[in-house]
Amino acid sequence: MNEVQYTPRELLACVAARLISDGESVFVGTGLPLVGALLAHKLHAPNMMAIYECGAVDPEPRVLPWSVACSWTYHKAPTILSMTSVFGHSRAGYADVGFLGGAQIDMYGNINATCIGDYDNPKVRLTGSGGANDIASLCGKVIFMGLHLPERFPEKCDYITTPGFLDGPGARERAGLVGGGPWRVISHLGVMGFDEETCRMKLISYHPGVTPDVVQQFTGFELIIPDDVTETPKPTEEELRVLREEVDPNQLFVF
Amino acid sequence: MSHANERLFDHQLAREVKLRKSRAERDKRMPLKDAIAEFVQDGDSIVETGFAYVRGPMAAFWEIGRQRKKDLVGIFTPGGMNTAWHEFGGMEGCHVAYVGVEMRGLISPFRRGVQNGTLKVYSEWSHGGLALSLLAAEKGLNYVACKSMLGTDIMKTNPYIREAEDPFTGEPVCLVPAMYPDVAIIHVHHADKFGNGRIWGPAVNDTSICIAAHKVIVTCERIVDTLDIRTNPYQVIVPHYCVDAVCEVPYGAYPGDMPGMYYFDRRLQERVVRLEWKTPESTKEWYEKYILGTKDHFEMIQLIAEDEGMNVIDYLKKLEQLACDASFYGLGTWGIGGEREWKYEEVAKRAI
Repeated sequence: MNEVQYTPRELLACVAARLISDGESVFVGTGLPLVGALLAHKLHAPNMMAIYECGAVDPEPRVLPWSVACSWTYHKAPTILSMTSVFGHSRAGYADVGFLGGAQIDMYGNINATCIGDYDNPKVRLTGSGGANDIASLCGKVIFMGLHLPERFPEKCDYITTPGFLDGPGARERAGLVGGGPWRVISHLGVMGFDEETCRMKLISYHPGVTPDVVQQFTGFELIIPDDVTETPKPTEEELRVLREEVDPNQLFVF
Repeated sequence: MSHANERLFDHQLAREVKLRKSRAERDKRMPLKDAIAEFVQDGDSIVETGFAYVRGPMAAFWEIGRQRKKDLVGIFTPGGMNTAWHEFGGMEGCHVAYVGVEMRGLISPFRRGVQNGTLKVYSEWSHGGLALSLLAAEKGLNYVACKSMLGTDIMKTNPYIREAEDPFTGEPVCLVPAMYPDVAIIHVHHADKFGNGRIWGPAVNDTSICIAAHKVIVTCERIVDTLDIRTNPYQVIVPHYCVDAVCEVPYGAYPGDMPGMYYFDRRLQERVVRLEWKTPESTKEWYEKYILGTKDHFEMIQLIAEDEGMNVIDYLKKLEQLACDASFYGLGTWGIGGEREWKYEEVAKRAI
């Protein structure tokens, strides 16, 4: 059999790219989200527009920016704005998708990027919100990418840096948040979404070589596993070619 | 002397400070050493400008380290490599939206400091929230009502912001007061001797910061004639009347990125953040060698270049030209050139 060979990170990047539709504006966080966004642009979303928190909008994505503020994020950009402008434009409704990472995500899609353990006496102090809180508060919908481990998918985050559905149905509205909240979670084990009624995380597809049971075992809370879960389609040769040759030829992020 | 936090949201004090500033066009050029010695005082709150590792005033930050300033309060939106100060008494606390260098990793001195309690975190923010706080100061607003940070633990760990009901719609909003840091150092591409500063690339929060801060030091890649500024004022983000000192520091953002001029020194940043600063001992060794052991920014660049065995500056210039070649944008005097050409050449030569 002539199987296509790929690494877990390559699969993640391809899955992320497939979630972006042509014509959408994407608020891009650092790391793998950068790769997914650029891959989508080169594959099926040539009219996708990237927004970066430093104030860069709609650059010509030629090379992977090495940071969300570096010169590649405004390479041939039509305009360069400021931080308050791009977040303001998101509130106004110009940002469709927010693309984030983080250390922990709980069953309601709340993200922790601040500390592990008690806030006043942290076991590990992390970076803090950055633009993540604003992106999740203001963008149309949010995609989270991260490693799938029980301690990274706890029932409750040690600290809520970035709002998901907070403590369940209706909480975002009560808190006064404007954006639609979490939409998809991409991990190295599967793709998750959120149940419309309970706002709890549910499995949509598991990656090749994994079963729904394995995904559940690596999740720190009870995952909703509907009957219609499927296997994530493998990366195609075309996806892998563009990823390896055009998006990240130096394997900065995807290896 | 009051604590920096007591001054941080005091709009009356901020106004008094600015009423006392001279509006006259004075020649404010001075060596970086003198500017830091005069305008950065122990205990001041100091706000990050640019995007920490993009157009950040790195040369000035290293100089603050060299002069062993004490007990500064950092405002990080985001915060970069200067968080190493605190292990040498340079910083006692901070207001944090983000500290790190993205996927290059966490900054160990910051993490250690917060974990063992030697570096206080006075308040948590989001980037957008902290940016609005500075914007409010620039726009003359007591506070702004926004939709960030609501519902999260940031509301509980930031004593300065609060949730309120929007009097017009009745929905919850987050109130963010105007912030007035003691000192800001802004690195720009061009400045005239009066302090008008021009950039290429994103202003991030700098247009707000220069008006919000009590004291402003402008460091620039190149001093240009004031006529050059006055005939092309569109990208001037710092007006002269808020500026206290102007220092010409070529490669002043190194090892960060200077849009249109030079790229990050990625290898150095990764090595420093991931390896050299891993433990307090190795941080101390690095700090003593590169910061305390050098007389200025250029000696430091030269030392790094010798370690790398290559002309780092030339390499970074070439990388940057791929992303945004200043001449591509038809910006005329933007490119490196003119009367100060020799200075760049000189530094580049020494950096072999």
